[in-house]
Amino acid sequence: MIGRAPRWTIVVMAVVSLIWIVPIIGIVVTSIRPLSETSLGWWRLDQVTFTLDAWQRVWSEYPLANAFWTTAQLAGISTLLTMLLTPAAAYAFHFLHFVGRRVLLIVIINAFVLPQQVVIIPLFRLWRDLGMIDNFASVIIPYVGLSFAWSIFLVKNFLEDFPKDLIEAAKIDGCGPIATFQHVVLPNTLSPIFAVGILQFLWTWNALLLPMLYLRSDVPLPVVLARVAGTYDLNWDLRSVAAIITTSVPLVIFLIFQRQFAAGSRATTGGKE
Amino acid sequence: MALAAPRWRLRDAPAAWLLIIPVLALFSVAVVYPLIETIRLSFFDIKGLSAPKYVGFGNYLTLFADPTFRNTISTTLIFTLGTTAISVSIGWTLAMLCAFAPRRTLPFRMMVFSAFGISETVSGYMWISMLRPDQAGLLNNLIGIFSPGFSYAWLGDADTALWALVVAASWSAVGLPLLLCFASVQAISKSVLEAAYMDGAKPLSIMRFIMMPLSLPGVRVAIFINLLNALRAFDIIFILTGGGPVRATETVGYFMYRESMTQFKLGYGAAATVILLIAVLIVSIPAIIQRTAGAK
Repeated sequence: MIGRAPRWTIVVMAVVSLIWIVPIIGIVVTSIRPLSETSLGWWRLDQVTFTLDAWQRVWSEYPLANAFWTTAQLAGISTLLTMLLTPAAAYAFHFLHFVGRRVLLIVIINAFVLPQQVVIIPLFRLWRDLGMIDNFASVIIPYVGLSFAWSIFLVKNFLEDFPKDLIEAAKIDGCGPIATFQHVVLPNTLSPIFAVGILQFLWTWNALLLPMLYLRSDVPLPVVLARVAGTYDLNWDLRSVAAIITTSVPLVIFLIFQRQFAAGSRATTGGKE
Repeated sequence: MALAAPRWRLRDAPAAWLLIIPVLALFSVAVVYPLIETIRLSFFDIKGLSAPKYVGFGNYLTLFADPTFRNTISTTLIFTLGTTAISVSIGWTLAMLCAFAPRRTLPFRMMVFSAFGISETVSGYMWISMLRPDQAGLLNNLIGIFSPGFSYAWLGDADTALWALVVAASWSAVGLPLLLCFASVQAISKSVLEAAYMDGAKPLSIMRFIMMPLSLPGVRVAIFINLLNALRAFDIIFILTGGGPVRATETVGYFMYRESMTQFKLGYGAAATVILLIAVLIVSIPAIIQRTAGAK
């Protein structure tokens, strides 16, 4: 705090942030009031009834339970794979010497600029020819492959401050490169690995484009929501429930792990600031 | 130690390859192959399942003669620059306001930041409900206070639909500039701010003459990230307008999806993707130079 904080800055911030969450309040209120009351606007207070009717009916109207399970599987597997493979590669790139190391590293960490639109046509053709459309691997492979561009950068940045003495000590104790990784580097790299996991989980849970194109029978939540969001149905209550369910898990994780997210997101797109 | 070193070096390379092979394999399938293949396919005419026909730069010539694609370019510019300008300037301003009382504004920062944590698909849906064409749309209702009975189909008009997209995308995108700029403002030495305060500087002049210039590094990163994200945007456009009305709000990133995945013109879509790729690379030049130089 600088001297005594001028009160108006806090007031302005409070007003702006309240305006900011109006859309969120809107769908929450719509989801817990009967449709008849909100048809002239969810903010109207002529008559206020609390009901969980939409929350009960939505499961039979839309395939949300199935979609939730699909989303959890896709995001879970992709997150685990990224968390498992990234630290090993980051360690190899940072501590080991091999031909082509720097070139490979430069190619991988610069791939973060690529838009996901680049993958959709080639992989669509590839999955179609291999008969892999509608297979979970068709989205998990690009989820994990695309993540390395930022995940390896993030973990390698962390390793730059890793004490060299520990590595030397392990060498003297007779540890080979893989044993050094397993016993010395990995246990001390858990915080960036965790940050990588959170970013990857949020990204894969929210992904719409790839699963919409490559999956048919079991689709994740954003795809289900996208199918019903733009329709001309007037079931605003049911759709609001579906929207809340879609974003509940990532929003909670996002708010709890803001700190890791902040550290991670800077590495995914910016430099070390 | 001196004796052990060569043995260690010898075993380095095989171990390294063992550790990075899975990464290289997945990276090749998900990034290298699609990148090369997209560029290659952009020189072919591919319709559905029929055999590709080489057309040289034909797809690119058709693109720039296509009025839909030309409209796409201006839409992309307005959407990308508009979203970045609005989100970064709001995020930056809020970050400076918050810096006067970091602790007491924490809950308010969380509220603005939470919009950033909401799935784009969901925020698209929220804005659909905010912009409903009837009286239950909040925007129509607010205008209705001044002119009773007002109702307007915001998403049904090409111009207002594009601005609706900009507003919806900015709403989500303010979180990151707020976070980055706030960190930059917080990093300013307390003694500088205290000195200004002692000299009787008003909050507005502290913001203007100390916080603004000294938080520029954070602002630069925020501008880059938001430009990149807006260029690559897809979800919010798909949900909110579906590129409509009548393809008026398609950006390049949406146009390629529309041509390749709904019209099955894969080669044509690939050419549009290459244009998007070039735009992304131009925006990213400084970041790529920085990363490449830092890769040791």
